[in-house]
Amino acid sequence: MSTLNRRDFLKLLTGGLLTLSGMLGLGAILRFLSYTPETVRRSQFDLGPADRYPLGSRTLIASIPALLIHDETGFRALSLVCTHLGCTVETAEGGFACPCHGSRFDPSGQVTRGPAGAPLAWLRVEVNEAGNVIIYPEE
Amino acid sequence: MRPNFFHHLHPPTIPAEQARWRHTLGAGGTAVFLVLVLLVTGILEMFYYVPNPQEAALSVQRITYHVPYGWLIRNLHYWAAQLLLIFASLHLLRVVFTAAYGPPRRFNYLLGMGLFVLAFLLDFTGYILRWDVEVCWPLVTGTNLLKTIPLIGDFLFRLAVGGENACESALLRFYTWHIFALTLPVVILGVWHAFRVRRDGGIAVPPPALRPNPERISRFELVRREVQAMLIVGAALVVLSVLFPAPIAPAMIGQPVLTEEARAPWFFLWVQQLLKWGDPFVFGVLIPFAILLALILIPYIFPPPAPQDVGRWFPPSNRLAQVVITLIAVFILVLTLVNR
Ligand code: FES
Repeated sequence: MSTLNRRDFLKLLTGGLLTLSGMLGLGAILRFLSYTPETVRRSQFDLGPADRYPLGSRTLIASIPALLIHDETGFRALSLVCTHLGCTVETAEGGFACPCHGSRFDPSGQVTRGPAGAPLAWLRVEVNEAGNVIIYPEE
Repeated sequence: MRPNFFHHLHPPTIPAEQARWRHTLGAGGTAVFLVLVLLVTGILEMFYYVPNPQEAALSVQRITYHVPYGWLIRNLHYWAAQLLLIFASLHLLRVVFTAAYGPPRRFNYLLGMGLFVLAFLLDFTGYILRWDVEVCWPLVTGTNLLKTIPLIGDFLFRLAVGGENACESALLRFYTWHIFALTLPVVILGVWHAFRVRRDGGIAVPPPALRPNPERISRFELVRREVQAMLIVGAALVVLSVLFPAPIAPAMIGQPVLTEEARAPWFFLWVQQLLKWGDPFVFGVLIPFAILLALILIPYIFPPPAPQDVGRWFPPSNRLAQVVITLIAVFILVLTLVNR
């Protein structure tokens, strides 16, 4: 068995301590940089009185972004965020088209052409007691 | 003649054969000159640029349309940045095609690859700093791409964006990366890269006994040629800047506008094309990284070039490396052209 003399031991100790403090410092910097401010992201959007959106209307709500549809079944909202990498899809012939990599979706949000792998999301919509339309984009 | 400071940055003499334009293409030297132009024009732009989502695009408009010669400064910065990617690529191709990466230059090749990657990151962050309606989708897709990486994806996203929504909060991050956190490493690695060229014995040449032409040129002649190149490139930059202004679009304020078609900046058109083919992680992260890794590993996985082949165009002993880098270049070029 080899023995460690005092000089080698101190060298090893110094090296080890320096590495450790370096790693701690790096970890601190990474934590520092990864801070995200408390989200101002809204979990619900109040779109105002429901009678602004008559039966048969399709309204683009750019701030979500979503398409608010009012038909016989009531209010529905389709998210316009492309499920591929998050660009906003555009209404196009036969549904929706994404400007970024050409995904296409039919009017019900199903993918008709890739690269997107998942359908557009339907968002929960409610009409509250005051008669306002509320969309919940998070759920 | 007494050598001045700039002469002293060069070796007293270098082999005449390898000092010719048709050997070096002047690519590395031109890249250095372009970085100097970028530093100077970039600092000038900082006097007016406001890294605040509300004002950024307006401050770019101010530089372009109101500040005296602001258009020239901005266009020079733009063109120097685009040319830097081209000359850095040429330099990389030259180094591989002239078998100049073998031991003892392997480490310096790594430094060069680091600079290469940094140049692309700087071009992309600089492009985002325009903060006009054209940059939102490339920013969204680029940063969402980070999220697709398993385990560290979310962390990288936060590192890059500093918030939830890229088109609202990424500006200050990108500004700091662009101005400082990427630029400082470029300067340090750049100086190190140049130092290592000298340390590794200057430009790659065959050992003296195997050199067909023993002639050498002095540092005076070398500096004279470098100055000549700088003048030519400088003039070309001015001409480009006067004739072809840097792109600019209406300010991105509030919600991004809807567009028929969103295009990546030209140097990432090939990635955008890849992304059209399927899973974002595979096509947008794995494949580009595999290509980068292949480039980085060239000096390590292929047998070192034969001594008499070092510093010669298209020598037989590193054919494999030449083929690989040619395939990569053609692949990227074709994808870029196909994406329309
Ligand atoms: S983000 Fe919609 S297709 Fe890529």
